[in-house]
Amino acid sequence: MARNVPEWLAPTTLEEALDLRARYGDEVTVVAGGTFIGILMSQRIMMPTVFLALRNIRELAFIVGNLFDRTTAGGLPLRIGAMTTHRAVERSAIIRQHWPILAYTFSLVASPRVRNQATVGGVLADADHASDPPALLHALDARAIARSVGGQREIPVEELITGYYETSLRPNELLVEVRIPPGVERAVYRKFRSRSSEDRPCVAVAAVQTNGKLRVVVGAVAERPQYFPDICSLANSQQLSRELAAEIGCRYAESIHPISDARGSAEYRRRVIAVEVRRALEDFLSDRLSEANRESGVGGLYTVEED
Amino acid sequence: MQIHFKVNGVPAEVEASPDEMLLEVLRRDLVLRSVRATCGVGICGACTALVNGEPISTCIFLAPLAEGCEIITAEGLGGDHPVQRAFEEEYAFQCGYCTPGMILTIIALLEENPSPSDEEIKVTLGGNLCRCGCYLKIINAAKRAAAAYSSGTAPTR
Amino acid sequence: MSDPRVTGAIRYAQDVEFEGMLHARILRSPYPHARVLRVDTSAVSDDVVVLAPEDVRDVGHYGCQIKDQTVLAIDCVRFAGDPVAAVAAPTRREAEEALNLIDVEYEELPAVYDAVEAVSEGAPLVHEHHPISDNDAAYFGMRPQQGTNICHRFRIRHGDVQEGFANADVIVEETFRTAGAQHAHMEPHASVALWKGDRLEIWTGTQTPFNLRMDLAGIFGLLEDRIRIVCPPMGGAFGAKTFVRYEAIVACLARKAGRPVKNVLDRNEEWLTLNRHPAILHIKLGARADGILVAKHVECWVDTGAYADCGPGVAQKMGYAAVGPYRIPHVRVDSNCIYTNLPPNGAFRGYGAMQAVWASERAMDILARRLYIDPLELRLKNVLVDGDRFCTGEVMHDVHFIECLKAAAEKIGWTEHRHGKGLCVLMKGMQTPSRASIAIAANEDGTYDVHCATAEMGQGAWHSIRLLAAELLGVEPECVHFPVPDTDIVPYDTRTTSSRSTYMMGRALVEAVRDLKKRGEIGYGECVNTGGLDPDTGQGIASSHWHQGAGAAEVRVDEETGKFEVVKLYTSIYAGRVVNRPGAELQNEGSMMMGLGTALFEEMAFADGQVMNANLSDYNIPAAADLPDLTYDLVEQERAEIHGLGETALPPVPAAIGNALHSLGIHVTELPMSAERVLHAIDRRNAGAQSLTPETNTDEEVAAQSEQMEKGSD
Repeated sequence: MARNVPEWLAPTTLEEALDLRARYGDEVTVVAGGTFIGILMSQRIMMPTVFLALRNIRELAFIVGNLFDRTTAGGLPLRIGAMTTHRAVERSAIIRQHWPILAYTFSLVASPRVRNQATVGGVLADADHASDPPALLHALDARAIARSVGGQREIPVEELITGYYETSLRPNELLVEVRIPPGVERAVYRKFRSRSSEDRPCVAVAAVQTNGKLRVVVGAVAERPQYFPDICSLANSQQLSRELAAEIGCRYAESIHPISDARGSAEYRRRVIAVEVRRALEDFLSDRLSEANRESGVGGLYTVEED
Repeated sequence: MQIHFKVNGVPAEVEASPDEMLLEVLRRDLVLRSVRATCGVGICGACTALVNGEPISTCIFLAPLAEGCEIITAEGLGGDHPVQRAFEEEYAFQCGYCTPGMILTIIALLEENPSPSDEEIKVTLGGNLCRCGCYLKIINAAKRAAAAYSSGTAPTR
Repeated sequence: MSDPRVTGAIRYAQDVEFEGMLHARILRSPYPHARVLRVDTSAVSDDVVVLAPEDVRDVGHYGCQIKDQTVLAIDCVRFAGDPVAAVAAPTRREAEEALNLIDVEYEELPAVYDAVEAVSEGAPLVHEHHPISDNDAAYFGMRPQQGTNICHRFRIRHGDVQEGFANADVIVEETFRTAGAQHAHMEPHASVALWKGDRLEIWTGTQTPFNLRMDLAGIFGLLEDRIRIVCPPMGGAFGAKTFVRYEAIVACLARKAGRPVKNVLDRNEEWLTLNRHPAILHIKLGARADGILVAKHVECWVDTGAYADCGPGVAQKMGYAAVGPYRIPHVRVDSNCIYTNLPPNGAFRGYGAMQAVWASERAMDILARRLYIDPLELRLKNVLVDGDRFCTGEVMHDVHFIECLKAAAEKIGWTEHRHGKGLCVLMKGMQTPSRASIAIAANEDGTYDVHCATAEMGQGAWHSIRLLAAELLGVEPECVHFPVPDTDIVPYDTRTTSSRSTYMMGRALVEAVRDLKKRGEIGYGECVNTGGLDPDTGQGIASSHWHQGAGAAEVRVDEETGKFEVVKLYTSIYAGRVVNRPGAELQNEGSMMMGLGTALFEEMAFADGQVMNANLSDYNIPAAADLPDLTYDLVEQERAEIHGLGETALPPVPAAIGNALHSLGIHVTELPMSAERVLHAIDRRNAGAQSLTPETNTDEEVAAQSEQMEKGSD
């Protein structure tokens, strides 16, 4: 019984990849780390006919960071290539020292095996609502760089994820890089699991203060990360206090329509959202910030680190 | 398509469909049975192999991604690796199904960090499920093996 | 020489290969209850072997206790997942593709998904008839209630509960629930069948070779010696690999194909194969003001799913285990094994004891609170001692409940304070009656071969039996071999369940070695334990000896989210005599971890009869970081009988944790104790409410059922 054997395209340059992407559009299945595709295929949810593998494009794996005082507005962003693995982010000396919240959050994803394979670009392009990095990247006001044969555009993560496993990437585009702006003063990521230590999160909260502005993003509760700038702006005009933290938590809970699943009902999630958002902001107030930023005060050269 | 890689130190060339997973290739074409089809979603770790030194879920790893890689399975450890010995000395297994995956994961951990804390061991092993519930003894085995790594008696690759 | 489990050299049933072997896949019903109008396999290509209902219409029915199963669903499917057709092809992928080409027409029928509903007026019948099986596994009097969904009704009538309750100073009453669960053994079900002429050979991961052989003989109309079962070691089983699972389907495919056929399940099929019985237990417990128990009424609704499997046995064991290890003069138990249109439920580590102990031990703490008596004191006052009669009328011997209970209390620091701490004491029966036989062959090179049907599933039975044999023979264990069980060679054994093997085979070995010394080349020995219960009164011998233990837990609760940490978990289990210490430890640790999963998060989720979490991401089992501060003692005694350890430490875990929460005023009656359920219980405590159980049937409905059961069954 003959079977149509799928095609495997493995370009070695970005240019080549973009040409193929332009030619095939949505007919092609882009393989970055391949974990998500692997799961979908193993479960027979997806049966691709053409694969576009990015693994051989070395120029897509990099971490470029600024060792100057990164809290200065107008400084340079952290740039991470789309094919950088979660493990590389977790272990990167630059990220651990200057962006520890990223190393921490990426280290929480799934298992070491998944982190060895899954990529920064892939996790955004997959738009899995329960993944940790998108909520944090959203709170960091990160931007995804999408390229096509036609050019390049910068998409705020906020605008990138549009629904369950849906992004605003166009059929001829590839996500090539993630950029995180400087100016981060405080950052916290809380992952609330309601069941086993290996469970996907029930509620996740990323809270980041950048250049005095607070962003709280709640993940794992709805199809897209949940962010309410109006509620957060309460913290921009007044000193953050326990009362304000509680109020922001309550307002977030009231504003979100959470999902119900094996990890908790919508009503339960709403209660946990109020508590976890409050706790994230209380972490801001305490000395014990989860891997949050310390004043690094390290001067130095602009450094490039290859994956 | 043809895929070329090294398994347990030996070059291999297999003919596989691009939509096959490395697990199927290892079991069928290379008759390596220590990697096992179990959960199908990369969660349980019973299909673990070391790919370029890093643990990978072979059940969700598309075979073409193995091109040019160095792969190690339990069959390639020689039977007397310090981690294997530690498992035997600590009786860290019952049915044995998850055991190769556990061993490989611990090897990768100890090569990166020869003196992990209990917490680090638990977190690392989080992705390896054992339904027989041997976690207590598996953690003991990891600690015993760590002693071998710290004292420099473990083989390096 | 390195252990094959550590080198990866061990071979499981899934690794068995034969020349020309085909790979099977199974087509399953998408509907929970439907008539099968038409199965059209015409589109499947000729190089694929297809098994359709008409191919198996004339083969025998089977079922270990109720003969309610057919090789494929004939005319009617009874659960979403019920096998309707099967194929065998050169590769698994081709087999899978062939399934897509089979067209089945169904006519949906009304379905029922809850045990209480299934015995209510007007509930759809899952089976029209409940014929009793003649398999050895139907070893006790069956009481199927024809014309209802009850396939077995077990009762205990001991004393007079009306009188007992009339004389009680305090009565507590509560309804408890336990969710379904999946064994989640890491190795999937795997079987290979091949025919040699008219003789059938099966390589399969099974705990029950002789029961399996018997049912297959019935299916194919063969004498049992025309069937050979070979039992490779299993990658875990926990009760899931018992009786006929897929062996009949692969055997039929192999016969049609004229070639060997292998079936290995995909993980999501495991939730459609055999699960743990969800149960509803209603407990009414009466005591004097001084804490002496006077009466107990237990009612169990045991959901056995679409096919009975060993549900009747589970309902029976759950029924008497729910009485608990206590002196109670008046006891009434009504335990019903009930069909629903859900996947079948069967043996699951503990065999009904987990559900029973949850309800019984939680009820004790509720009573303790009402009486203002320390939960430890309440238990010590009532727990059985040697010479006491259990509610079955049997006299207790070799009883160690007090010792285990005191050890548990001490370990948890019970006298320091009780805040956040819970205790549990339990008894669990061992398969009675049963028979174990074993043979030892002396080899010329001075080694010995043990011929034994005991299955290896990670519990270390082969090793323990080798150690026992070596001890008796006076040789080193390395000189004793335990070949893979093969029914062509090994003598009869009831089955490898119920934590009976080391004990029973140990006793059979004594006879076998004695016989070997007399005869020289081969020795044969047998051990029989007798007993059994009258199914209408529950009187007799439930267990020739009892598995006993106690548990203790300490918890710390995040009251804002309901999530709690098990700070300390301890069990004290009576072992009698430990044969293989590392093996015993591993079994105890494993039981406790499985108990933890049951307690905290393991739950089968259903929606309209469909399993919603049939994968290891949506269904959580404990992982390494879930390991609490876990300790235990295996209690031994001079010249004591070996007591099995494979299950005893599982049931105390949920109950001890539930009681620990209860000590904080957090009253959860439903398993698992999810964070959400705990949060609701905290809300109720804070609101000062009486215990209310949020569930699918209200307490009123359960109470009405109760009344009906009482009226109908005197």
